[in-house]
Amino acid sequence: MTSLTYNHFFILSLIVFIIGCFGLFLNRRNMILILMCIEIILLAANINFVSASVFLNDINGQVFSIFILTIAAAEAAIGLAILVIYFRNKGEIDITQINQLKD
Amino acid sequence: MFLVGSFFLFAAFLITTCIFVIFSKNPVNSVLFLVLAFLNSTFLFILIGAEFVGIILAIVYIGAVAILFLFVVMMLDIQITTLMFNIKRYIPLALLFAGIILAEIIYLTVFKTSKVNIDTFIRSKNNTEQIGDVLYTNYFIDFQLSGIVLLLAMIGAIVLTHVYRPTIKRQNIDSQNSTTAKDRVQLVKIKPGEGIKDD
Repeated sequence: MTSLTYNHFFILSLIVFIIGCFGLFLNRRNMILILMCIEIILLAANINFVSASVFLNDINGQVFSIFILTIAAAEAAIGLAILVIYFRNKGEIDITQINQLKD
Repeated sequence: MFLVGSFFLFAAFLITTCIFVIFSKNPVNSVLFLVLAFLNSTFLFILIGAEFVGIILAIVYIGAVAILFLFVVMMLDIQITTLMFNIKRYIPLALLFAGIILAEIIYLTVFKTSKVNIDTFIRSKNNTEQIGDVLYTNYFIDFQLSGIVLLLAMIGAIVLTHVYRPTIKRQNIDSQNSTTAKDRVQLVKIKPGEGIKDD
């Protein structure tokens, strides 16, 4: 336990990932919190990629982490745009009503 | 020893803030805790020597994504709702996941203790130079494609949220570009004492 190993970071990212998944299951009403939980899950993936890259002394993991960041930013923008038009049409962001989008 | 102590400090903060993101009643508090979680993971990345990704995470997530969330949360009038959670439905799934995760952690900590020490790596270049060497050569196509993805996201967000109102008076760009000076300005010679006749 005196030196920092990859196991520390792997277990940390596992815990963060589980917290994000738990939030997805727990939260059934607020759509914006679901988007935040997806951000937490992507953050866990980033932690795993970057720490593996550092401990294996291979830079490719950090490059992939940058690509994940790009996709996460695009996803947040599109998700929030859908949220805004949903709120404009319905006046609420209750996730249980969202199956009416297909009508 | 300093590394391990800092790691446990920041990791504890990261997990605590992630839990607060989920359990906050007010969405504004959730977004602010999300910012704190990203800041802690930035510290963790800098701690193990991945400075570039850490700073990019701070700039992109805290500077752009979290502030976007904050704008949307404050713009929409969201009533504070309680969590709707029926714990009995999820107990089998939760036990399955908990068993898998526990088995993975035990396997890692008991059988697979990695002996790699990051202080022993000799780096000829700094972190940013290393990433730049790979990103603009091997991953050139992917780099361009991620730019296209960002462009598509921008166009998609604008198209989705744009509201077309036909009653608003707008510029007609074509007719404005196709006019010449003769259509707009007229040179009139005025004789003394007569004034201008309106046609």
